[in-house]
Amino acid sequence: MSKKIGLVFNGGWAIYALANAPKYKDIYELLYVHDITWDKIEDLDAIVIPFLSNHTAIAKKKDLIYRFLAEGKKVVVEGDSTQEWLDAKWEDRPTNNYWWVENPNNPPISKTDYEHPVYKGLKPRHACWHTHGAYTRVPEGAEIVQTTDDGEIITWQTDKYGGILFGTTLDPFIEHGIRQITHLDNYVDKMTEWLCGIKPEGEFEFNDADYGIGIN
Amino acid sequence: MIKAAVINNGAHGSKSGFKDNQLVNYTYIDVDENFNPDLSPYDLLLTGNPTDHVALYKIKDKIVDFLNQGKTLFCFSGWYTDYIPGNKWIMERDIKSIDIRYFKKSDKNNLLAGVNIHELIYQNGISGWWACGHIEASQGAEIILVDTLNRPIMILDEQTTNGTIICTSGGPLNGKKSKDEQGLHAVNVLYNNLIDYIYKKQNHEQEDRVSI
Repeated sequence: MSKKIGLVFNGGWAIYALANAPKYKDIYELLYVHDITWDKIEDLDAIVIPFLSNHTAIAKKKDLIYRFLAEGKKVVVEGDSTQEWLDAKWEDRPTNNYWWVENPNNPPISKTDYEHPVYKGLKPRHACWHTHGAYTRVPEGAEIVQTTDDGEIITWQTDKYGGILFGTTLDPFIEHGIRQITHLDNYVDKMTEWLCGIKPEGEFEFNDADYGIGIN
Repeated sequence: MIKAAVINNGAHGSKSGFKDNQLVNYTYIDVDENFNPDLSPYDLLLTGNPTDHVALYKIKDKIVDFLNQGKTLFCFSGWYTDYIPGNKWIMERDIKSIDIRYFKKSDKNNLLAGVNIHELIYQNGISGWWACGHIEASQGAEIILVDTLNRPIMILDEQTTNGTIICTSGGPLNGKKSKDEQGLHAVNVLYNNLIDYIYKKQNHEQEDRVSI
């Protein structure tokens, strides 16, 4: 089976750990951000750009990303982003990742469209853990999927470029790789199924042999 | 003055972790498609959290040469590629976050002096955020901190190369606050201790060279 989803990474360990876990490694292809070419992405169904990406490097690949979208495919951008390649404005905000200890009935996201395929069937706790900033501007006509109590935009999507461009200030892939938030299988697996039609199966584990590696 | 090179993978906020002070001057080296830095001007190579372990593997021979010149490597991020001589990081989640604790194992050079380990264990009452996975340390390394299962999560290795290697198992440290500033967190105190250690070592070695 050829891999379905490109997972952009800039050499960090959390994304490497996720993409090499047995549960995900047959679905996700690591795309080292400085080496992305059309040949490496043209057969994929979707591309995920996780939180803590190198958006200066991604901006250099802007034409490839929009060519990919123009073919009717999906692109997801998580956490922060820049206007260098995205027609949307992300702004930083303080991150509260302990609200569930101090005030569990007041999560950072108050409104979610649970009819969206990623969110359909998710419990509220699985649809929001913490956010990294907010969008103060999104592409014209974009559909708003999640907002804060103050109405700030957390998650949106648009089809104006051909396929679907999905933006969120959630950070599911990075956090799932870190494995400190143990319920993220719910979100990431729903996202995976939406992106490529395959629902990942099995426990999320790591292989010792994937560590201490050389690279050709 | 310590001249430090910070390998920057371009993530949001990645240039704010280390601030110049009277002991250290930091240079951020951005990773791009032509990454091949000259490490010769520097005394300390710093791979913070996050960093780019693909790029660092590409210059692994330079890193060995750098260390064999008696220089220092700090790595505070899970190095899944094999560029740190003698020491390997492994990602696992064998302990639930709620059960993760850290303990002092050995500290011959007082690197933990004044460090409140409780602050490393808990953040806003939540444990297990600071370090991830564990280290398979080289035989000659000193194990500074261990986790609940007595596995290394911070090591000091002055045996594998001629230089000094200090690693944490993904436990981020930062140089945002010097030791004379207010409101120091354990990650600041520990980092400042590491800087003090290599600063004294560097100056001591320079005095030795003069006396010879």
